[in-house]
Amino acid sequence: MGNYRFHTPEGVSDMLPEDCRTKRGLEQKLRTLFALSGYREIETPGIEFYDVYASGDFVAQENLYKLGDQEGRILSLRYDGTVPVARLAATLFKDTPPPLRLSYIENMYRFRESGGGRQREFCQAGVELLGVSSTQADAEVIALAISSALETGITDLQISIGQAEFFRGLMEAWEIPAEDAEEISRHIDQKDTVALEKSADRYGLSSSEKETLLLIPSLFGTYDTLDAFDKRVESPRARAALQNVREILDILDDYGYMKYVSVDLGMLRSLDYYTGMIFKGFTYEIGFPIISGGRYDNVVSVFGRDLAAVGFSLSLNLCMTALRRQDKELLQIHVDTIIGYSDEPGMRRLALEMAKDLRADGLIALVDCEGMNEEDLSCFAENRGIEQMVFLNNGMCDCEEEGK
Amino acid sequence: MTDMITIALSKGRLAEQALDLLEAAGYDCRAAREKSRRLILEDEKAGLRFIMAKPADVPTYVEYGAADIGVVGKDTLLEEGRQLYEVIDLGFGACQMCVCGPVSLKGKLDQIPNKRVASKYPNITRSYFEGTKRESVEIIKLNGSVELAPLIGLAEVIVDIVESGRTLRENGLDVLEVIADISARVIVNRVSMKMKAQSIMPMLDALRCQLAKQKEEGAAK
Repeated sequence: MGNYRFHTPEGVSDMLPEDCRTKRGLEQKLRTLFALSGYREIETPGIEFYDVYASGDFVAQENLYKLGDQEGRILSLRYDGTVPVARLAATLFKDTPPPLRLSYIENMYRFRESGGGRQREFCQAGVELLGVSSTQADAEVIALAISSALETGITDLQISIGQAEFFRGLMEAWEIPAEDAEEISRHIDQKDTVALEKSADRYGLSSSEKETLLLIPSLFGTYDTLDAFDKRVESPRARAALQNVREILDILDDYGYMKYVSVDLGMLRSLDYYTGMIFKGFTYEIGFPIISGGRYDNVVSVFGRDLAAVGFSLSLNLCMTALRRQDKELLQIHVDTIIGYSDEPGMRRLALEMAKDLRADGLIALVDCEGMNEEDLSCFAENRGIEQMVFLNNGMCDCEEEGK
Repeated sequence: MTDMITIALSKGRLAEQALDLLEAAGYDCRAAREKSRRLILEDEKAGLRFIMAKPADVPTYVEYGAADIGVVGKDTLLEEGRQLYEVIDLGFGACQMCVCGPVSLKGKLDQIPNKRVASKYPNITRSYFEGTKRESVEIIKLNGSVELAPLIGLAEVIVDIVESGRTLRENGLDVLEVIADISARVIVNRVSMKMKAQSIMPMLDALRCQLAKQKEEGAAK
C-alpha cells in the first residue's frame, strides 16, 4: 500500500506557479478573443455518459477514460470539446435558432492519443460554430484559430487545409468500396506512396487516376495545388471540395492570413468525423500539431438535430511547450513588497492596511507571518529577490529599497 | 533559410546502408561515420545531425519530433504503430513478417482452436490474428530465439521475421502464412514535413532519385 503516494499517474503533471500563471494569462487572452469574436463560453461536465462518445462511433473505446456510477452505467471523462457541444446544441439549445457560436477552455482526458502531445490530461481552448454550412463559416473558424495562435505569442505558424469531400468524391467516382477507401485514406494520410501504388494496381485504376492518387499525399502549396487537381479531376463532388478550399483561401486572404496557410489534400485523419474542410496548425520545436479543426456536419445529428458545424481546438499545453522551446519569454512571478512589523501595539494593523493599499494599486504584497526582525526580513527579501522591504516599528515607518 | 535536420538511424547495418545512400545522394555524412561513442553526431556546415538509436526507438524519436527524419524497418513501424509519415521504401533490409510453425501445421493453421502465439512483436501478432483473421489468440511475448517456443511446447506457432528461413528449416519449422513484406523505410515527423519542408523535400527527392538510379543500374547489370 502507498507505493504510489509520491507520484502522479502517467500522462498528467503538476503545474508550477510560473507555468500556471503563464497558462492563466494565455487563457485570459483567448477567452477575450473568443468573446470579442462573438463566441459565448460554456463549461460542460468533466464526466459524460460513455454513450455520448460511443453512439456516434467518434472515439475508439480504448482512448476513453471510463468509470462506472452506482447504477452500473458507464461514464467517461471529457475526451474533447466538440462532442459535448454537439450534445448541448441538440438538447439544451434545441430551440435556439442558429447560428450558435460557443467556446470552451477545458481539460481533456485521453489514453493513447497525441492530441496533447501524448499527455493524458491537457487543456484545450476551442470554438464551435453551429448551424452554418457556408464557406465563410469555414474561413471564420480557421481565421480565429490563426488569431488564437498569434495571441498566445506563436508567430511561426503553418496552417494546412485539407478537404474530406475531395477524397470521398474521388473514391465514389472510381467506385472503390468504403472499406478499401478507408485503407487507402490511411496510406494517403501516412504519405505511404509505396502502399498507395499497390492499392492503385489492385483496384485497376487507370494510369492517370493512379497519378492523381499519388499526387494527393505529395502536393502541398496553395492555389497551384488546387489548379493541379482541378485539371485532373472530373467528379463533381471532388471539384466542389476544391472550390470550397479555393474560396476559403480567398477569404483568408481578406483576413490578411494568407502567409500562414497552405493546402494539403492528403490530410485525412479522423475521416469519418469530418465532412468538409479539415485543418491543422503547426509551429517549430514541437512535434505535434498545436491546432486541429474542421467541418463535421454529421455529429450533431447523432443527438437528433440536423445541424451543420465547424470548429477547432488549440492545445494550450503544447503552445506553452513550443513557446518555451522557442525561447519566447514566459511570465515571471515576483513579489513587489514584503512588510514586516514589530510586536508593538498597532503595528500589525498598520502592516495589514499598508498591504491592502499596495494590493489595491495592483502590486504584489506579502505580510511576514514568521515574526522576523528587521535584519532577518532584509535578508529574506534579498534572498528571494523581493524588490522592496518595509519594516514597521515604534510608530515610525522604516523603508528600505532592495536591489535597485 | 536552411534548417538543421535531425536524422535518427537504427544502429547497425541499417544505419550503414542508409548513410551510403545519403552520401550517394550528395549529402555529407562524415560526421555520422566517425568511429566514436558519441550518441549525437553533428555537422553544422552540412546542416545535419545524426542520432544513433535502438531500432525500436527510432519511430518514437520521430513521432515526438526529437528527430525530423528516421530510417527504420517496416517491422518496427508496424509494431510501434506511431503517427508518422512513411515516405520512402528504401528496399534494403528486405524480409517478411510471417506466422511460422511445425511443417506438419502447413495449411492447417486455422484448424487449431485457442492458439498460443509466441512473438517479439505482440502488436503485429494481435492486429494480424484479431484484425485480419478475426480470431482471438493468446500472445506470449518473448525477447529472442522465438523459434524455441513451438519446439518446446510454449506455443503452437510464432510470428517473426524471416530472411532466408534457414533457422526455421534447421529446427523443423516453416512459414505458414505471410503477414507483410518488410524493408527499410524513411519516416518523417508530421510537423517537420511542414515546418522544414524547404530542407526535407529536396532530401527526399534526392533519395528517391538515387534509388531510381541504383535500380536502373541494377537492371542494366
